[in-house]
Amino acid sequence: MRLTRFLLRRTAQGILVVWGVITLVFLLRFITPGSTIDFVAPLDASPELRQRLAEDLGLNKPIYVQYADYIVNLLQLDMGNSLLKGRPASDVIFARLPATLELAIAATIVAILFSIPLGVISATRRHQPVDYGATGFSLIGISTPNFWLGIMLILIVGVNLGWLPTSRRIIGFGPALELLIFEGRTIGIQVWFEHILLPSITLGTYFTALITRLTRNGMLEELGQSYVEVTRAKGLPETLVKYKHVLRNTMIPIITVLGLQMGTLIGGAVITESVFNWPGLGTLIIDAINSRDWPLIQGSLIVIGVGFVVINIVVDALYMYFNPQVTFE
Amino acid sequence: MSDDVILRVSDLSTRFFTTDGQINAVESLSLEIEEGEVFGIVGESGSGKSVTARSLIRLIESPGRITSGTIDYRDEELAEAVREDYPEAVDGAFVDLLAIPEDVHRSLRGTAFSMIFQDPESSFNPSLTVGEQIAEAVEVQRRASSNPRSTRARTRSSAYSLRSYAAAAVLPGRGYVSSDSKDRAIELLQQVGIPDPEQRVDEYPHEYSGGMLQRAMVAQALAGEPDVLVADEPTTALDVTIQAQVLDILRDLQEETGMTILLITHNLGVIARMCDRVGVMYAGEIVERGSLGDVFDRPTHPYTQGLLGSIPDLDAAGGRLQPIGGNVPSLLDAEMGDRCYFADRCPKAMEECLEKPAEYPAEGTDDHAARCYLADHPYEASQALPEDYFEESEPP
Amino acid sequence: MNWQRVWRSLRAEFGRSPMAKLGVVLILAVFLMAIFAPFLATTNPKAQDLSRANEPPVGFTDTTEDTRLVDGERQTVTVTTRGTLEYPLGTNQLGQDMYSRLLYGARTSLLVGLLGTAIAALAGVSVGIVAGYYGGRVDDGLMRFADVMLAFPALVLAIALIGLLGPRAVDIPDPFVAAGLVSDMPETTVLPLTVTLVVALVNWVWFARVARGEALSVREKNYVKASRSLGASDRRLMLKHVLPNSLTPILVLATVQVAVIILLESALSFLGFSGTTLSWGFDISQGRDLLATSWWISTMPGLAIVVTVIGINLVGDWLRDALDPDIEGESGGGMG
Repeated sequence: MRLTRFLLRRTAQGILVVWGVITLVFLLRFITPGSTIDFVAPLDASPELRQRLAEDLGLNKPIYVQYADYIVNLLQLDMGNSLLKGRPASDVIFARLPATLELAIAATIVAILFSIPLGVISATRRHQPVDYGATGFSLIGISTPNFWLGIMLILIVGVNLGWLPTSRRIIGFGPALELLIFEGRTIGIQVWFEHILLPSITLGTYFTALITRLTRNGMLEELGQSYVEVTRAKGLPETLVKYKHVLRNTMIPIITVLGLQMGTLIGGAVITESVFNWPGLGTLIIDAINSRDWPLIQGSLIVIGVGFVVINIVVDALYMYFNPQVTFE
Repeated sequence: MSDDVILRVSDLSTRFFTTDGQINAVESLSLEIEEGEVFGIVGESGSGKSVTARSLIRLIESPGRITSGTIDYRDEELAEAVREDYPEAVDGAFVDLLAIPEDVHRSLRGTAFSMIFQDPESSFNPSLTVGEQIAEAVEVQRRASSNPRSTRARTRSSAYSLRSYAAAAVLPGRGYVSSDSKDRAIELLQQVGIPDPEQRVDEYPHEYSGGMLQRAMVAQALAGEPDVLVADEPTTALDVTIQAQVLDILRDLQEETGMTILLITHNLGVIARMCDRVGVMYAGEIVERGSLGDVFDRPTHPYTQGLLGSIPDLDAAGGRLQPIGGNVPSLLDAEMGDRCYFADRCPKAMEECLEKPAEYPAEGTDDHAARCYLADHPYEASQALPEDYFEESEPP
Repeated sequence: MNWQRVWRSLRAEFGRSPMAKLGVVLILAVFLMAIFAPFLATTNPKAQDLSRANEPPVGFTDTTEDTRLVDGERQTVTVTTRGTLEYPLGTNQLGQDMYSRLLYGARTSLLVGLLGTAIAALAGVSVGIVAGYYGGRVDDGLMRFADVMLAFPALVLAIALIGLLGPRAVDIPDPFVAAGLVSDMPETTVLPLTVTLVVALVNWVWFARVARGEALSVREKNYVKASRSLGASDRRLMLKHVLPNSLTPILVLATVQVAVIILLESALSFLGFSGTTLSWGFDISQGRDLLATSWWISTMPGLAIVVTVIGINLVGDWLRDALDPDIEGESGGGMG
């Protein structure tokens, strides 16, 4: 019940934020130098054509009418037509979304899989070689720009060793899975995995390093709490003391920071996509900006804003799950 | 006599190796605790009482280490079970708790002996329900008794491991390994007088008051039906009225189950109310021990005399130690030297006190003894040390 | 704020921590490189020499196959290039000296990092203190706006803003060249203005949050209440009491933000949204298509970024361990 009420409340707040995002995105067009019609109309367009185009797109209406129109259209998932592709911007965006989601999820999995055990081991073997190794790794990891890391991975693993492909996606996870289930062929999953491995390591390394650091420091702090001694005194096996009791409480600060770092994940995805020519939202938005494809720019920004809000609600719910003392005022 | 002894500590030393130097928190401590009694250890803060308690259940963490001694625990079945694998740990019916490996020792925690800690608020994990934490202790006990007293059962965790926890975490009613253990947790909460235990069992520590948490901790400690309960300042953090309630519960439970209690406190009132026998601790040593009557009515060691002399009414719940002039020694090895540690505060310090005193029987019986030259010798003013003796010879 | 105590704990922690010393050394080195770039550089970083393009760093040799016309016939010849001391870190595809470019790149990174952080801090702290001090509606409004700002990942917002506003740059005359101390070096250092403003714009929120939290707590302190009842003006109270108390956490946050902004600037340059070509991120993007043949073009500037950011993070850890402020978010906005 606590969770349901909280989710309702957070969703309401989220909708407010999304509305703010939409407004800001809408206004972005008006602070940009140059008239919108200049980007839409062909260079040799006659004044009449320009006039007609402007009327078609509603560019002559007062700004508040344009704003109202924009919101009404958005509510019907109509983001306008992409100037670049000539298709509805929403179609273009949602076609690219799975690639970005796959990348972000894969990177998160990579990060959680490596960082939490590494952080726990580091904290429990303090001042031993493995601790120094983990601390050094996390320092370098949070200090390395991920696009450069991606390029180095391409250089070493792709170019020099020739082990893995270094660009593009070829097949999505969904189709690859269908191939496996309906035709029993593993080639799809294999190709998918080969292509996503380097990008997800590139995107995941910063988070692996960050969470390792947070886990280590958090564990060290928690291990000094007196409940740990009590738990040991009642004869609980050490693995349970560490993974059930201590780690559970360490998750609270980790989740707080992760919530604040979600923007980094999305921003990192944009640049990782650019390094690996990954056909996701990131490469889409860069193309759209370079060609002033307004509907596409606005649509992508709104989708990213909504994604960010959703992720944050999930993070807050997780936070609440791990920390029963929170009531969220 | 040794038939009744359940815990025999000899020559126990626990040291902490810090950057400031070596700290001798417990120094060659010896004591015997009889089955079914309440034994009290009383001393000022910094005298090493809590470290003694933690040494008994081997919960000393780096930079601390138990450097010498034996802690013999009487349990015939256990002795039988470990005799083959660890013959050096077994002496008749006694098993040296410091000579068995960690996993065997761990299986004894909660079942053979358990512990109540000082500050209930910080002694529970804030993110798990109280019930779940008590149920854990129940599960631990079940593991040990499922195959009673065999080394195999004690070393291989079958009922409650990380795997079963992981399984329980994804199943509904997460946290409890079984509904039995939850029922048992409710029962235990009821036993220590928590109202509405069915509802309280699912609440989190922050929803409990301090006194209720301390009762819950007693319940948790009792989950494994321990033979020996170590209570380290069980009432210090509580209000005076609640202190009395918790002590009553402990006393009742002790009479009911016949368990042995080792009660550690700085509160003389608590000792007087609860204990059969008592040991007075100073600078890591037991300086006087005997029955409650012997020690409180006829104190022999000048330190004990000082402690008691400053308490007008022993039965007052707030009867705290009003120690003698001067400070508790730092316990830093470098500053301790080889003399009676109390000599610099002792009004009757003599030249003999510059050597470390042995334990002398007081009143001619070994049941009451003091680590003081005067216990067995008359005081001679001619040999008294000048009052400023230690100020001159000791570094500041 | 007790500056003596701050200084003492900084010194004590510095003495304890070898990592803090390493951080300070690294940062000093990068600063010296950036400031004295015209003296340390061996070649004008913008000077092109196509006949010396793609030379490897000193100590490395590079073997490529080339098709040439020899006596009217096309022949494949193997060309071996040996790195020379003249170009210690090699050259790029335009024959520019990577070493000199590295030095000038440090200027861009530090300029944007420090200036961007300063602007972000100024804006964020002002907004945060006002919001926290007045509370109520003002606070609600400003913080909701901050939430909306946070809903855009910094990198995405920065790309959008720069892409739409167009990268503008300001030329700052190089004092050493102007004074005639060195010749053959660029006469100006380029400050990518749009980038600097945009990185400040996307990062001010962190400062606002910290400053607001501090202001909220200081507002409730008795001496502030007392001064207010004595008729001290809000402006005076904010400047005299609230601001000084917020300085420690803001200092720690600012250190981390310099690292964040340097990473952000390099990402923007890498994606081509920069106002200058003398930037580590730009050089990395130049080397990206030449990975198979000239690995050093991307590698060297990347190492420079890593070393710089490690240095700043170590100094940040030092300040945090010594001053122990309570900042949520550990390393601020991250690199996106």
